[in-house]
Amino acid sequence: MRGAPHPRREGDEALPASLPRRFPRPRSFFPAILVLGLAALLWPARELRSDNFIFYFPSGQHRLPLESVGSAKYLPLLQILNMVGKVGGIQEKKNSLKVWFGTTQIELRSNESKVRVDRASYELPQPVHLSDGQWMVPVDFLTTILPHLTHQAVEYQEGTNRIFIGDVKPASFTVRLDPIANGVRLTVQFTDKVAVRTASSNGKWVMFLGDRPMEPMEPSYRFQNPYLSDLQYDDQDGVPKLILSPTSSGLNFYPVQAEGGKILLADVLKPPPPSAQTLPLQPAPQPAPTSGQPTPEGLTPQVTEESPAAPPGLPLPVVALDAGHGGADNGGHSHDGVLEKDLVAQYVGRVRSALLATDKYRVVLTRTGDLNVSSEQRALAANLSGAICFLSFHAGDLGMALPRITLFTYQPPTAAAPAAGDAPTPAFVPWGQVQEARLGQSLQLALALQQQFALINGVEVDLPATAPVRTLRYVNAPAVAIELGRLAPDEDATALANPAFQQQVAGAVVQALASFAKGGN
Amino acid sequence: MTVRAKILLLILLMALGAGGFYLRSLAQHVFLEPTPRAEEAARAKLNQFALQPNNGTMQLATLYFPALNEGKILPESRSITWAQADADRVRQVVLALAEGSHQGYGRVLPASTTVRAVFLAPDGTAYVDLSNDILSDLEPGIQSETLTIYSIVNSVAINIPSVKRVQFLIQGQEVETLDGHADLTAAFVPDSTRVKSGP
Repeated sequence: MRGAPHPRREGDEALPASLPRRFPRPRSFFPAILVLGLAALLWPARELRSDNFIFYFPSGQHRLPLESVGSAKYLPLLQILNMVGKVGGIQEKKNSLKVWFGTTQIELRSNESKVRVDRASYELPQPVHLSDGQWMVPVDFLTTILPHLTHQAVEYQEGTNRIFIGDVKPASFTVRLDPIANGVRLTVQFTDKVAVRTASSNGKWVMFLGDRPMEPMEPSYRFQNPYLSDLQYDDQDGVPKLILSPTSSGLNFYPVQAEGGKILLADVLKPPPPSAQTLPLQPAPQPAPTSGQPTPEGLTPQVTEESPAAPPGLPLPVVALDAGHGGADNGGHSHDGVLEKDLVAQYVGRVRSALLATDKYRVVLTRTGDLNVSSEQRALAANLSGAICFLSFHAGDLGMALPRITLFTYQPPTAAAPAAGDAPTPAFVPWGQVQEARLGQSLQLALALQQQFALINGVEVDLPATAPVRTLRYVNAPAVAIELGRLAPDEDATALANPAFQQQVAGAVVQALASFAKGGN
Repeated sequence: MTVRAKILLLILLMALGAGGFYLRSLAQHVFLEPTPRAEEAARAKLNQFALQPNNGTMQLATLYFPALNEGKILPESRSITWAQADADRVRQVVLALAEGSHQGYGRVLPASTTVRAVFLAPDGTAYVDLSNDILSDLEPGIQSETLTIYSIVNSVAINIPSVKRVQFLIQGQEVETLDGHADLTAAFVPDSTRVKSGP
């Protein structure tokens, strides 16, 4: 049927005469295409990433594909169970699953966050769901339920993609960057000996760390530096490694190990400047790449006039937080079974979060998880990171007042009542006396903390005292031990374990550091 | 079975029973009731000798005990009949501290703590080797450990002037810390600021 001719509009001239009039014209598609494109771009992705989750056991490690749904991470339940033990049988219905794992029966339902293990019931933060026929459980299943199934120690740091099950003692490392002539020196201090092998790949330097399980204190380090942009830890393919990204091509990389493998020193240097004749835009022959000198893809060495390197931006100051004890060393304990090592780890976690929330600090933890770290290693973590201060958290018997906080600066056993002022620093300071040159600053820090803690309602705060605290001895920064009381076998730890009180302490630490940084107390 | 055979069987069974009983008591003696070792016996005798010298003079000694509430150590007078040798006097002071305060002050050492050995070096360093019983009843914490240490060091130094500093050993070994806090790798000099001044 032919209708009346449409009135011609502007733009219709370009329309082919052969195009039937009943179809919308191409111009009318544009808004729809635009909306669909934007929707595709902005639609919340259900599976943006496809990472791996690494399970470290004493006998080795296994990988499982990790499914990310929004911010939640999921793992396949049956694969987890088969990895840590033996699944005796399953009974699957449309929306529910029963699993017999050893003598234990696990029951879960799709889109429900409650999981039954025998007669006990556990609540997961996200619901279980079915994905391509696989029963997926949130990662928190590993810490909430798995220990009850395997009866083994489980160490998992929230936010990471790795877990240590059983008697696995992961190593860790701290990172420090120091300017040197014509370049920068990266120092990686490991908590244990590590055999490092270096290679270059895709314009980055890769340092393979052998098969030693590793728990990094931070997953990545970003540098505000003209030579290096970041250092990342990666074990997604099951091979622990550090990936160092230079800011530009043409830099030389000279790694060397020291102290039997406990320290990796890597100098990143600008190559010697080309002679004046090659300066005017003559492409220089590209040096043959070596294993230690990466040539970033798509980049050729720039031959420009030698200009001074841009001044490095000011990195955020580092605060070293030390949770006392750990591993086999439980420290003290309360009447209701709260261990000092766990309690102080809670405080350190809260202080860390409060400091990071200010966007004014980086935080280095001297121990992550339940590990036994020596006093020297704790101090080394602070010293290598160039920390502006070191706070060591402890809990103990401080008499009957509850809660009570006492702050300690270091007192060398060989000297009674040390002078408050900083001693003049000689050219070489013995390792064991490094804190003695910082006692004045440490006292200022302790006073700043004392003032802020005193503002917490109902807390008794003593004037800073001195004590021969071994952990403080080797710290080359203002250092204070914070002892919270009362944690003793004849008293419950209710007051100290109170999250509100812990948060108040964390807030007071942030205020005290701000005050200390301004030079006031 | 003849009567003779029955009697022989009875005798055999009795012998077996007696042998079994003997073996059981022997095993109990060997494995379950160890006799005090000669070393420990000698130490006990030495401690007893140090505490009850025959020909010494009784004097008032000052001992320090911790007051956790105040973060200080408190003095207490005690009559002690001093031994002749300074090393024995050091032992006397430490054992008196282990006995506990007579005025109800805090405990320095568990009563079960024994002084394994005391050496007095010419430079005035007293090496005090304590049994690890010291850790059995120690109040946890930095403050507690610090006050324990200075209770001993100040008590020893104020009563035995030849002692300038005290180096602690636990079970004959140098240890890093007393119980995770206080550094024991160096000798301690007495610290008078630890003593509570005034009422």
